[in-house]
Amino acid sequence: MATVQTAESTVAKRRGVTFARALPYLLSLPALLVCIGILIPFVTAIIYSLQRYNLAFPDTRAFIWFGNFVSLVTDPAFWNTVRVSLEYTVLTVGVELLLGLAIALLLRERNWVHNTISVLLILPLMVAPAIASLMWKLMTNPNFGVLSYLVSLVGVQNFKWASAPSSAMFTVVLVDTWVYTPFITILLLAGLRALPKQPFEAAELDGVPATFVFFRVTLPMLTPYILTATLFRMLDSMQQFDIIYSMTQGGPGDTLTVFQVQAYLEAFNFTNIGHSAALVMILWAITYVLSTVFIKNWLKLRAKARGQS
Amino acid sequence: MDKAFLRRAVRGLLLLLVVVFFLFPMFWVLLMSFQTNQDILRTPPSLAFTPTLSNYVALLSGKITTSVGTLPVEYMKNLANSAILSAGAVALSLLLGVPAAYAFARFKFRLGEDIAFTLLSFRFAPPILVLLPLQLYFQDIGLYDTYTGLIWVYQLITLPLILWIVRGYFEDISPDIEHAYRLDGHSWFKSLWKIAIPLARPGIAAAGLLAFIFAWNNFVFALVLGSADVQPVTVGSLAFMTASGIQYGTIAASLILSIVPTLVLALYTQRYLVEGLSLGAVKG
Amino acid sequence: MSSRKVKDLVKAAHDKKMGRRELLQRVGALGVGAAATSFMLNGLATEALAAGGPDFKKFQGKSIRLLMNKHPYMDALVKNLDNFKSMTGLNVTYDIFPEDVYFDKVTTALASKGTQYDAFMTGAYQTWKYGPARQIVDLNHFIKDPKVTSANYNWMDVTEGLRASDSWDGKAGSKLGGPGSHQWAIPWGFELNNIAYNKRIMGELGIDPPKNLPDLIEKAAKISASGKYYGVGVRGSRSWATIHPGFLSAYSNYGLHDFVVQGGKLKPAMNTKESKEFHKMWIEMIQKGGPKNWTTYTWYEVGNDLGAGNSAMIFDADILGYFQQNGTKEAGNIAYMPFAANPQASKPTPNVWIWSLAMSEFSKMKEAAWFFIQWATGTENCTFGAVNADLVDPVRDSVWKVPEFQARLEKSYPGYLNQFQQSIGQSRIYFTPQQLFPEFTTDWAAMLQQMYAKEIPIDEGLDKLAQSLERKLHEVGI
Repeated sequence: MATVQTAESTVAKRRGVTFARALPYLLSLPALLVCIGILIPFVTAIIYSLQRYNLAFPDTRAFIWFGNFVSLVTDPAFWNTVRVSLEYTVLTVGVELLLGLAIALLLRERNWVHNTISVLLILPLMVAPAIASLMWKLMTNPNFGVLSYLVSLVGVQNFKWASAPSSAMFTVVLVDTWVYTPFITILLLAGLRALPKQPFEAAELDGVPATFVFFRVTLPMLTPYILTATLFRMLDSMQQFDIIYSMTQGGPGDTLTVFQVQAYLEAFNFTNIGHSAALVMILWAITYVLSTVFIKNWLKLRAKARGQS
Repeated sequence: MDKAFLRRAVRGLLLLLVVVFFLFPMFWVLLMSFQTNQDILRTPPSLAFTPTLSNYVALLSGKITTSVGTLPVEYMKNLANSAILSAGAVALSLLLGVPAAYAFARFKFRLGEDIAFTLLSFRFAPPILVLLPLQLYFQDIGLYDTYTGLIWVYQLITLPLILWIVRGYFEDISPDIEHAYRLDGHSWFKSLWKIAIPLARPGIAAAGLLAFIFAWNNFVFALVLGSADVQPVTVGSLAFMTASGIQYGTIAASLILSIVPTLVLALYTQRYLVEGLSLGAVKG
Repeated sequence: MSSRKVKDLVKAAHDKKMGRRELLQRVGALGVGAAATSFMLNGLATEALAAGGPDFKKFQGKSIRLLMNKHPYMDALVKNLDNFKSMTGLNVTYDIFPEDVYFDKVTTALASKGTQYDAFMTGAYQTWKYGPARQIVDLNHFIKDPKVTSANYNWMDVTEGLRASDSWDGKAGSKLGGPGSHQWAIPWGFELNNIAYNKRIMGELGIDPPKNLPDLIEKAAKISASGKYYGVGVRGSRSWATIHPGFLSAYSNYGLHDFVVQGGKLKPAMNTKESKEFHKMWIEMIQKGGPKNWTTYTWYEVGNDLGAGNSAMIFDADILGYFQQNGTKEAGNIAYMPFAANPQASKPTPNVWIWSLAMSEFSKMKEAAWFFIQWATGTENCTFGAVNADLVDPVRDSVWKVPEFQARLEKSYPGYLNQFQQSIGQSRIYFTPQQLFPEFTTDWAAMLQQMYAKEIPIDEGLDKLAQSLERKLHEVGI
């Protein structure tokens, strides 16, 4: 299409170009401004983490710079927290991703059965995790719990669910999976349904085997959605609080003392604000690093996916 | 045996297992909401019970009768609070996030990725980090115990989610249609409003619904930053755990009631979530 | 209906010239119901308080705001609130939060130095943080001042052990209620720890109630071995709630301490030889005769099991057993007994939990808040709650002597009055007061969980606990 350039349209174009350059900033700045308010509490939290600050000892409040961090890093309980949090994140994200993808694939075809199921599947997600934990706690109660009962029918007596160190992680991962897999399913399903039909129709016509199509066509095209879903789940799992706190408050023993549970106890029960802030700062740093790595790869993978399709 | 039939049977079976896993607890909770506490606390659990509406009546009428007398119940108010906070937060996030997502998707501008990442990084802020100082500041600037203050803080949860999900959808829509539209002389705004947004509707719907759910399920922000007047259902449901015992039946009923608004929203957006697109034609 | 007649009847009952049942009958004949009568009785009592000196109407027209837990005590109070309002002309608003999040809300409200809340409910242990943090007011100033405290308030009527337990001088290791103590909170309702058991189950299995801890272990094991029930319910969650009820009561009965004071500093004492022996017994009790999912057991699970007939006994708060006597499957089968865990002890030494009222240091209406606290913890309100509602256990000695209250207990709660009378003389807080209460009890509970799961041998576990606590105490200089 040829454009005819006149003197006026050149001026208009230049004005248009400046506007066009400013436009993206104008569009994204409101969001940024609204969120920028968070920086103030954030900086305050950093200050807390550099202080010895315990409400019950008001006269000892003072700057100890990295004292809290040193005390954390030399405490074996802290490393237990790191290990447990990472374990929890890897397990939940892994299981939910695989399960969510599988379900999305099962529901891919558009028909009323699938549509109904996909809406029903959102139900667990709609339950507040703290309440979900309460319900699962009742269901796994050795006396009143329907799950304990059903499990005993298949011969597993006295399964300890969340009360024994060996099965506590399993139980909370189970609850987390129950609540959050639908999140991944929705995102991936919407992604699957948004995929263009042509490559798949062409592949079918050409008689390409299903697995090849899946791995070489579907997955790469789904990658951006998979990455987004994984990113959010990973961030949430690292910061998991509601489910674990409701179930066991971090027990039994030290089995489930993940970051936010420990930080919450330190801040609200032990009133040790400085220590709690330091712990949360470390959590923040870890999530920051993980996300940066993730996003960099996301951008790379998208470019690759674009190239492939 | 026909391979296609076998495949369909296996699919059906797998779907059934999935449905049972995810929906059985919901079904159980639904049953519990019609039972008295005595029936619920029975060993072993059984399906035979005399149904009762007393749990729902208690929630809707604002009074619950327990072994220690009649106690007042604020649940309907909690429901209203949740609705206001979640709807408000999502509305604001959509307003701010969709244009921003469009900007990141369509324009390659300096600082673009940085701003996008910064906005995402607010999601990393563990709530506790933010809460400790926030409660002090909110008092000073008068936002303590206000819907406005809470909706603002809720942006930490809803905005990054909406932004990144919708961005992905915008990026997947080929710019060709929009270019054609623009060349016909329409403004970028019209292009966004009439072309891009409708095409990205499934993404926007999914993002909005998910953001609503996450906002709805949050409890720690309202707990710390507000009085009893603004507490959402997540805190309200816990009111049925008192010294005289846990009213499981009422908690179950409160759970069912709390799902209703979100379910309605999901059914409404379901159209967009599963609707067909003409994208295929464009992407080619 | 003659309101004068009603008022006379009510006054007669108030002056203890007429029993409550008779009062209700006669007033009912005049067309007035029980709730209204209660309200009137409380009204008269409020008048008596008001007649005792202070100018209660000083803050007429102003407001105070309360932060309260969702609890039966609060519900009982709300019913009578109008009497307070008419006595003082004050406007009272309140925020109620569910118990699960209540303490966290109080902590943040106080930490934010907010002026919204004037008075709130708390336990003694929490004041060990709020007091030193300078977030609550020493109420001695008010109690001793006749300008703000009615002559009819009768502070000494509150059981001595409870008054002392709510006061501390702020120095780690000091005796509670000793000289120089600040009265951080006023007792409102309390719980002591004993055994509540199911008569039906014990009878069915032919087992007598246990006399002491070794006996309890043996009997609980036998009951659990029967397969239909388990022996004794105790709490086991990873929190202070596991340490303070039955556990500490039994621990103290053996003369054991959580900390000892050496050279002005605290030293953990849970790893002494005797303490290790005790822990071995306690863990054995749970393993052989306790609930299967013990580590997730909170107040609710322990109570539910007793009420539903899954457990034969509980060793926990007396009022937990009390609440299971109504509206549950085993209602009517529960009995109560005092329990001295140590075979060599003659009397029980229960640790207590005291729901109390405290005043925020940041309140702008302190005197008015004191009027409220005074009224709520006054004799009349307590008597009311005990006789009419379920405000147990009352904190005032006089209430326990009220014949209607005693009769009500004897009728439906066999052994309850007796376990109280046997225990009250030795009931108080047995913890050593210090600012790290939540830290050390949480760690102690976590260690109990590990020992129970056999993750760590008991001796080693307690040594490790003591070491870690010593480090924490050292860090804060106590």
